[in-house]
Order: sequence, then structure tokens, then C-alpha cells
Amino acid sequence: MAMLARRMRPLERSLVRLLGRERVLHSPDALLAWECDGFTVHRRRPRAVVLPESTDEVQAVVRALHDASVPFVPRGAGTCLSGGPTANADAVVVDLARMRKVLQISTEDLFAVVQPGVVNLDLTAAVHHLGLHYAPDPSSQSVCTIGGNFAENSGGPHCFKYGMTVDHVLGALVVLPDGSLARLGDAAGARAPHGLDLTGLFCGSEGTFAIATEITVRLCRDQEAVRTLLASFPTMAAACRTVSDVVAAGLLPAALEILDQATIRAVEASVYRAGYPADAAAVLLVELDGPTEVVAEEAAEVMAVFARHGALHREEASSPADRKRLWKGRKGAFGAMGRLNTDLYVLDGVVPRTRLEEALERIAAIGRKHGVVLTNVFHAGDGNLHPNISFDGRDADQTARTIAAGREILQLCVDLGGSVTGEHGIGSEKLEHVAMMYGPADLDVMARVRRAWNPRDLCNPGKVLPQRSSCAEVAKWPQMVARVLDEEHG
Amino acid sequence: MNGVARPANAAELAELLRSKSGPVRLRGNGSRADRVPPAATGTIAIELRNLATIDRLDAADFTCSVDAGLDRSTLDDELAARGVELPCAGAGTLGGLFASDPIGATMFGGASPRSLLLGLEGVLADGTRFRSGARVVKSVAGFDVHRLLVGSHGTLFAATRLHLRLRARPRAAAWFRNDALDEAGARTLFVALRGLAVPPAALHWRRDARGHTVAGCIAGRANHVAATMRAHHLREGAPFVDLHLQRTPGGEVLGGIVLPSRVPALLAAAPPDAPFLVHGGGRFEIGLSSPAESDAFVAAAPRVPCEACILLGEPARRRRGTPIDPGQSRIAAELKRALDPDGILV
Ligand SMILES: Cc1cc2nc3c(=O)[nH]c(=O)nc-3n(C[C@H](O)[C@H](O)[C@H](O)COP(=O)(O)OP(=O)(O)OC[C@H]3O[C@@H](n4cnc5c(N)ncnc54)[C@H](O)[C@@H]3O)c2cc1C
Ligand SMILES: Cc1cc2nc3c(=O)[nH]c(=O)nc-3n(C[C@H](O)[C@H](O)[C@H](O)COP(=O)(O)OP(=O)(O)OC[C@H]3O[C@@H](n4cnc5c(N)ncnc54)[C@H](O)[C@@H]3O)c2cc1C
Repeated sequence: MAMLARRMRPLERSLVRLLGRERVLHSPDALLAWECDGFTVHRRRPRAVVLPESTDEVQAVVRALHDASVPFVPRGAGTCLSGGPTANADAVVVDLARMRKVLQISTEDLFAVVQPGVVNLDLTAAVHHLGLHYAPDPSSQSVCTIGGNFAENSGGPHCFKYGMTVDHVLGALVVLPDGSLARLGDAAGARAPHGLDLTGLFCGSEGTFAIATEITVRLCRDQEAVRTLLASFPTMAAACRTVSDVVAAGLLPAALEILDQATIRAVEASVYRAGYPADAAAVLLVELDGPTEVVAEEAAEVMAVFARHGALHREEASSPADRKRLWKGRKGAFGAMGRLNTDLYVLDGVVPRTRLEEALERIAAIGRKHGVVLTNVFHAGDGNLHPNISFDGRDADQTARTIAAGREILQLCVDLGGSVTGEHGIGSEKLEHVAMMYGPADLDVMARVRRAWNPRDLCNPGKVLPQRSSCAEVAKWPQMVARVLDEEHG
Repeated sequence: MNGVARPANAAELAELLRSKSGPVRLRGNGSRADRVPPAATGTIAIELRNLATIDRLDAADFTCSVDAGLDRSTLDDELAARGVELPCAGAGTLGGLFASDPIGATMFGGASPRSLLLGLEGVLADGTRFRSGARVVKSVAGFDVHRLLVGSHGTLFAATRLHLRLRARPRAAAWFRNDALDEAGARTLFVALRGLAVPPAALHWRRDARGHTVAGCIAGRANHVAATMRAHHLREGAPFVDLHLQRTPGGEVLGGIVLPSRVPALLAAAPPDAPFLVHGGGRFEIGLSSPAESDAFVAAAPRVPCEACILLGEPARRRRGTPIDPGQSRIAAELKRALDPDGILV
């Protein structure tokens, strides 16, 4: 112990004084698990990892880091797909996974107050017996945390009807980068009439403003009936047109999800096998929820739209277990595709829903041009595409082609009037891509807003906004993107 | 006010702001003029009503982009013709509506200006033009600076164009109005309707000289509307359009946010005859007969608990209210410094 303590740097020693030895990790081996998130291309071992269990402890840790001018990175479950919780610049990771208490549940006022490390699905499990649930449902919901969801403004299959995380967060207690506290919003409403919507602004700030240590979220009443329908189509175009017609008919399904043929095949060959018709060009999952008689009428209408667009196969889940089966393939799609090669690059572009068909055709052409293995699974109702490129990250040529194809796909989304990210965030992955949407003045205004929260850039530096001039430590991925760009432009 | 400027477009507005050094008050239709603190002498008003075009209306994608000076009623007519709507309450120019967000959501979890604003184009006090957010229904690219418009009362930047989320008009809708209720009956009905799995499109609870009224709108498919009206014994009535309280001579109107379970405590903190209105989204207004009554209410508010401030009253008292959390105030002040360091926009 004495020897260990002697090897520690002064900061680590003071962190150990605050949290105890078990909750401050700093040996290189112990840090391995924190060197990346789901975006495995950007790897960097943090300087140390701390595991606080209360707001007071987070405050104490952040004060120590602030006083020592050492940057830090909040982290939930590390399922982010854009490098958000990966350390830059010798940062200390503040891992919030041990803060997993549900602090308050109100059945009359319909809200819950949770610590940030509460796993998304655990919150619904905690209120299930009350006929309630927490609506935002990222496909990673069995692992990802409410803190991570809040910081990313996460979506999920059911966000088409129920909205993103921002539509469900009412307030938060946050530890600012100097260790002081700010309370944003309130269970009664995200904004008082004489206040600003700081809860809304914080949501999606990707851990670069402050650390949320308590989050107040809205709870939703469970619907009386849920019906899950599936149809397969001979072409992707038919599946996309079906989505348009369902929406145009004024129906508001809870979810509208499409998987393309390559994804279907990957899923059917994996443990996530769901019995999808493997010969179809696309499978469309539609979930309807609401009062029993309403859902019955809507299901009949949707089935008729399926038929009108030449569905090859139509089915409806016959039981809760069967419903789980139909969703298993969709929820496991990323896992299934992860087995196609050593690495998977999950893209996350958005196009107006009415341009889906065109976007998918052009994405396929981009894939062919760059010779990459491209699959698509997406939130069709929101026009939120997830083109996935399977590649071998050890092969420099494959990696370069993957980056080039990804970049072209995101540019296409912007050209079609969309966005470079619908739910996965900018993180370190899209530092270059964000400039496809915003000019220098736009980015400067965003930087000013971040400085208002995080004036010394200690909280998650090097994320969200490109920092060509000031960032001492640029992540490996943007460097790779920059290299590809340089090559492309001769 | 030291004159009114009426730029024709965003470029003119930017030029105007670049050339100004004194205080500026932004204005849409000016309908909120009696709700904000008075302007210092030398302040010029910049009225944005000439920025009034609909840039695009993609009904099939449920989005549109409109100039901030466009009048809401003009947009509503265009939307209705295409079978879509902007599902929030409020009138005036769209910029003014979002900057003042006077009602919030009319239903818990329902759409509010906050949730309908997908992005914007704006101009800072120094004339810098910028964009935030996107035109599509889903985007998490960059920081959502556009959310700062909501409730900013024109003090952070001018919005010149708004990207908005729309919704299909419901197939059926019925307004209800159950009046002559006692407080317990009103609360029971309000809480029951607010907690429905498919909540009403609008929900309001009002207390006035005639007693308590719970009113609102059930929307959706015809069978759902009929079944909900039946199950909760809702009586059909005229649309509920009085979404604000009027100020009585010498009196004040306070606005705030409150949880339904705390409404009885809130009413207990006010005189028994004070007019009161709460929307399903949590925003309330209460009418008090004198500044002394308001001060007593504000002093009692933390025990309710609720947050509140003076909406209508003598100019110098407007926006006074319960203290905002110091950390939150600090960030708000830093944001003002970051976006309008010279304090031009007042
Ligand atoms: C298989 C798979 C499926 C996925 N599906 C979806 C999906 O359907 N929809 C979707 O939106 N995303 C999806 N994701 C992405 C990811 O799960 C989400 O972004 C999620 O919200 C991250 O949560 P986390 O707890 O893992 O956070 P982390 O990955 O640990 O962190 C994410 C970001 O949040 C910050 N952060 C974490 N906690 C806090 C806090 N308390 N205060 C401040 N900042 C904090 C971090 O610094 C980081 O920038 C998926 C990921 C995987 C691997
Ligand atoms: C008949 C009528 C009755 C009303 N009654 C009430 C009431 O009882 N209670 C209530 O709270 N409200 C009331 N309102 C106000 C109304 O609901 C909104 O506040 C209104 O939408 C504001 O629109 P406006 O164009 O008049 O805005 P204005 O009054 O001109 O501006 C409202 C605020 O927004 C700012 N602003 C305006 N445009 C922009 C912009 N483009 N960018 C940035 N900031 C901007 C202004 O500086 C100002 O602070 C009423 C409005 C009408 C028309």
C-alpha cells in the first residue's frame, strides 16, 4: 500500500483520499476497459478512472480536478457510438455507473428522479408494476444509462411517436466544471416562466457542459393494447413507400423500423434469429399502441397498406413472446452485423422521410463505389438511417475506404436537407463532419455557449466542436478522416 | 422607445444590429409589450413583422421553415389547407410566440414551443448571423442553441427563421367543459385525464367566481374520442380559448409551474377568491388583487412548492418572482455574456 501510494501522482493521491483506493483506478491494466466506447476506432487510455457514488463525491472529485487543471470525462455505460466518453488529453474518467438509485417515483404527478447511472431498462422495470414506463428506448437500453441518454439526447425505435430523451427530461442537478451545483428545470416543468430552457440546452451536450448527478424524467402510462406487425417486400422502395403511406394516412405508429436484405441475412445467421423472410429485400416492423379498439382499426389499415404495396409476407405477433421474437432481430441487428468482420462502423444520418428511397439508392451506389460491405437498419418513421459498414480495422486500405464512404454518405444526408447525426452524437467521430452542416459562425456561437458552462474546457475536451487551433490532443479518428480528406483533395 | 426600425429581411436586420451601439428591443406584433419591464430611454425597437414568408412547407415530412415575423394565423391557414397543424397554443408572430412561450404545453408531455422548434437561423446583437439545429425531425448535431430562444424574451439573439415540427390534424376532436365542480372534484378529474395513456390534446383547470371548471379537447380516432368522453363523463362545450387571466385594476397576474398534487397547497397559499388557471403542461396563472397579496404569495411559494413570477403588473415589478437556483442564474448570466456581451438586447 505504501509503495503504491508512493508511485501515485499527487492528484491520484488526493482522489484516493476522497473516494478510497477501490474507487480510484490508475494502473494501466485496470484502465483497459475504459479506453474506448462503442466507437472502437478511437482508443485512448484515461489517466485514471474514479467511481463516485453520490453528488457530494462527484463535487469533491470535480473540485480536485479543477484545482489541478486536469480535464475529466463523464461516463455512463460506455455504449456511445461516437467516442463521447473516451478520454482525450490525459483526462480522468468520472464513471457514474455506481450512481444507480431511483430516488423518487411519483405515480400521481408521473415523474421519477434518478441517479445518472440508472440503466434505461431498469427504470421501466422499477415502475412496471405501477402500469408506467420510461418511453425513450435506445436499442442499447438494457445497458445504457439515463445519464448517457440525457447527455446524448438519445432516441430509439419508439421515438417516432413518443419523442427523444429531450421530450422526457424535466430537470436535472448538475455539477459544473468548477465543482459547484446548478439545478435545471423541475419536476413541474422544464422551465419556469422567468427562466431559460437550460434543461433542453443541456440535453445532447455530450458531457461537455457539466456532469448530471440527478435527472428528473417523465413517466408514461402503459398503453392498453400493443400490436406488432411485420411485412416483407420485394424492393426497398416498396418498403419506404409503405412507410410514407402509413404516415400520410394520419396513423401514428409507436415504431416504424426497416431492415435491408443484408441485415436480415446477418440477423438470421446469428443468435438474434427472428424468423424474418431471408429472401426479402426489406422487412418493415410496425408497432401500434393505444386503446384496444383504436389499435384494432389501425392494424387493419396498416395491413391494407402493406397489401397495396405488394408485401410478400405479412404477419402479426400473436403473443407477447412472439412480439419479443419480432423485435429480437431488430434490436440485435448491430450485434449480428458486428460478426461480419472485426469492426463495424455504425453511421447515423438523417434525411427527410420522403427522401428515404432516394437516399438508400444513392447510399448503395456510394458503397459500390468504395467497395465496402454496407447494410442498413433504420428508424424509417424519422428518416434516421443507420448505414453500417463492416470492415477490418487492421487493414489500412479497408479503413480508409470505410471512412471515405461514411463521409460521402453523411454529406449526402446533408445535401438532402438532413443531418449528420440523428441520435449518436458528434463525439470525436464526427468532428470533421459537423462542418458539413454548420459554418464557422454557427460553430463559434456553439463554442461560446459551451464556454458559458465550461470556461476552461476541462469537461470532456476535444468533443463535439472541431478545435483545430486550440486542441493539443486530437483523437486518432479525426486524424484519419483528415488524412482521407487530404488524399481526396490531392 | 426611441424609434422603430423595420428591417425587410435577415441581412438588413444583421446590418442594423451591426451599426447599433445602444439598447435594442426586439418586437413581433408587440402584443407582449405590457408584460415586460419598461425599456430605458434611448432604446430602439426593431420590429420583425416584415420577415414574413413561409420558406418551405413539407406537409408529408411534418416540417416547415418560416420567417420569425410571420403571423401565426397566416401559417395556421396554410397548414390547415394541407391537413397538418402546429400543435401548440399561442398567438402573435412565430418569433414572439417562441421567445415568450406564454403557455408551455397545454398537456403534460404534449407539444410545447420547446418541443416543436427543430432549429433556427438567427442574428446576434453584434450582427453575426448563425444557424442552429436542423430542418429534419431528428438531429443531435452540435449544441441546441435554438432552445435558448424559448423564454428568452428577445434578450439573447433575434430569430429570423424557425424550423418547426408539425403534426397531422386529428381525425376527430371534441371539446369538453365540466364546470360547477368543487376543488376536490376538479382535481380528481384533472389528475385522471392528465394520467391517461392517451391524454387529452389540451387540458385546463380554472377557478373563478363561478367555481371550478375542467376543460379541454379529446382528439384522435372517432371511437377513442367518444369512449374517452363517455368514460370520464365529459360534457361537450365550446373550445377553451381564454388561456390567460386578465389583470384587475391595481392587481397583478402571476405565472409559474406547479405539480398537480401541489395545486391544493398552492390554492391554500392564495386568497380563497383569487382567479386561478392551470394548463395540463404544468404552467399556472393566478390573479391577485394587490402587490401586497402577490408578495405574500411569492413568499409562500417555496413551501407549496412552486416557482412563480409577476406576468402582469406595474412595469417595474414585472418578472419579479421566486428566486431562481443560483447555479442556474449563473449559467443564464454567462450565456447572456457569451451571446450579447455588451447587453444590447433588452
Ligand atoms: C448496440 C447499440 C445500440 C444502440 N442503439 C441506440 C439507439 O437506438 N438510439 C440511440 O440514441 N443510441 C443508441 N446507441 C448509442 C448509445 O447507447 C447511446 O448514446 C446512449 O445514450 C449512451 O449511454 P451510456 O450510458 O452508454 O453513455 P456513455 O457512452 O458512457 O456516454 C455517452 C456520452 O454521455 C456523456 N455522459 C454520460 N453520463 C453523463 C452524465 N451523467 N452527465 C453528463 N454527461 C454524461 C459522456 O461523456 C459521453 O459523451 C446504441 C449503442 C449500441 C452499442
Ligand atoms: C390577443 C392576444 C392576447 C394575448 N394574451 C396574452 C396573455 O394574456 N398572457 C400572455 O402571457 N401572453 C398573451 N399574449 C401573447 C402571446 O400569446 C405571445 O406572447 C405572442 O405570441 C407574442 O407574439 P408577438 O408577435 O406579439 O410578440 P411580441 O410581444 O412582439 O414579443 C414577445 C417577446 O418575444 C421577443 N421576440 C419577438 N420576436 C422575436 C424574434 N424574432 N427573436 C427573438 N425574440 C423575439 C420580444 O422581444 C418579446 O420579449 C396575447 C397575444 C395576443 C395576440
